Amino acid sequence: MDRDNMDQKKRRLAVRNIFLKREISILGAAVLLFFGLSLATPHFLRIDNLLLVARQISILAIIAIGMTFLFIAREIDLSVGSMYGFLVVVLAFLISRTTLDPWVAMGVVIIAGASLGLLNGLLTTLFGMPSFIVTLGMLSILRGSSLLLTGGWPIIIRTSEDHSFLNFTAGYAGGVVPTQIFWMISLMLIGGFFLGKTRFGAHVYATGGNEEAARLSGIPVKRVKTVCFMITGALCGIAAALLLGQVRSGFPLTGAGFELDIIAAVVIGGTPLFGGRGSILGTLLGASITGMITNGLVLLGASAYFEPVAKGSIIIIAVLINTLTRRKYA
Amino acid sequence: MKMEKEKAVATVASKAAELPLLELRGISKTFGHVQALKGVDCCIYPGEVVGLVGDNGAGKSTLMKIIAGVYKPDAGTIWVDGSLVTIRTPLDAMALGIAIVYQNLALVDQRDVVANIFLGRELVRGLVLDNDRMLKESAQVLQELGIEIPSLSAEVGILSGGQRQAIAITRAMHHGERKRLVIMDEPVAALGVNESRKVLRLIKHLKGQGCTLIVISHNMEHVFSVADRIMVLRRGRLVGVRHRAETTTIDIVRLIVGAEHL
Repeated sequence: MDRDNMDQKKRRLAVRNIFLKREISILGAAVLLFFGLSLATPHFLRIDNLLLVARQISILAIIAIGMTFLFIAREIDLSVGSMYGFLVVVLAFLISRTTLDPWVAMGVVIIAGASLGLLNGLLTTLFGMPSFIVTLGMLSILRGSSLLLTGGWPIIIRTSEDHSFLNFTAGYAGGVVPTQIFWMISLMLIGGFFLGKTRFGAHVYATGGNEEAARLSGIPVKRVKTVCFMITGALCGIAAALLLGQVRSGFPLTGAGFELDIIAAVVIGGTPLFGGRGSILGTLLGASITGMITNGLVLLGASAYFEPVAKGSIIIIAVLINTLTRRKYA
Repeated sequence: MKMEKEKAVATVASKAAELPLLELRGISKTFGHVQALKGVDCCIYPGEVVGLVGDNGAGKSTLMKIIAGVYKPDAGTIWVDGSLVTIRTPLDAMALGIAIVYQNLALVDQRDVVANIFLGRELVRGLVLDNDRMLKESAQVLQELGIEIPSLSAEVGILSGGQRQAIAITRAMHHGERKRLVIMDEPVAALGVNESRKVLRLIKHLKGQGCTLIVISHNMEHVFSVADRIMVLRRGRLVGVRHRAETTTIDIVRLIVGAEHL
């Protein structure tokens, strides 16, 4: 009698677990979108278009890795767009106005990004300020800093064409595959590993799921959150280097509004704002979906002004679906 | 009746000769204007179950949190196995073999059973989480304690109150080496009759295994069903310690509210 009960419960929980593998439903959405676009326009499935989409997704996805960590830890970083823009400008400055080798300069910028993340983290955890407010302030500070540093003008780098820096950040492997994709895949694998398979990752989930419980169990929640901010900052630095390799100039308004795209990718990928849940794979799918939407709108000849309307609608629909499916099984 | 009395007297005598597992001397704690604890002295002996009772605000949770390292006492000392110790953080308490199950259970609802049992002390193989070992050990401990959870990969948020309580207790019991002392803050307060019975049975099982337990409860029936001794706090002071066999519910209630009110 009790055993029947147990089997029944086991079965129900197994089914629930599959449905709650939100990655499956988001993968489904991504696949649907892919097929939809392939049917809607012949230009979508062209190799050069698909590689272009992948390239566009890469930079977004890299920063979104950090944002995924933060969301799971129940924090947010609104300054990522400005930080990314600021770091692009700083890197351009270092390469063009100093004698630093571009790779060394990239290292400096990654450390700078991690330091800015450290600042965000300390302000949030040591003083108990909401990360929303801290990073909102940083958003403005860093945007202003970019403009101050450049005087409003782009900083052009004049690295020689065959320099390894340009090749490895924005070149094409085998002449075909953009190197940015490899950066994205490697960083996603590393991020996914740390999040899913290490003790640190388990602590990130615990901190976001129930901070009090985590703290009482001896988890250093302040440190965990701060590290997540630092990871995000460092990833902004890497993304900045990839962009600079591609466009060869540091434009002070780079990344303006980018934070919304990054947040969209993370939430569409199934990571809620409430902490305790999420995955890098989900974020990859979310970034793919937003990338395909942008690409699709261009290919279909939609007005450029329609893009934010589409993106905003997708975010709301995606989160709505997530919220409703969760509630059904609660 | 006479045999019980003799047994109780004998227990008192033998307890006096035994070294206390935990001894508190002069523990005081103030929060702002409120003095939550005023010079509490008590001993907990190995293998016994002590019921800690008192009205709301008497200082029960505060006293337990001091032992568990969540709060630091403003005055007084703590002794474990006869040696003076300082407990500054929950980790210090854990290192001493003291585990506490909080009233709100301190579980992470979004994580599964195994993750919650190993919360904060996940097993690793090098850099990687050792999920297989954690799963195996969790299943083992749950079985030893006689707890039935349909699936260990279920999120604890969807489990029943009794199951969640059982998981919280399992976590406390399984912190590495043998636990010296387990404190339970209102373990059955939020549970229905059936689930309460299961948890009380678990407590008796733990007692049978020789664990030392402190159980905070405001339910006299439950306290009397599991406790060997009962300690009563009133307004931050320890106003009475009784052996269960030598006392009655009325006696305890009198101590809780102050005899003048009855």
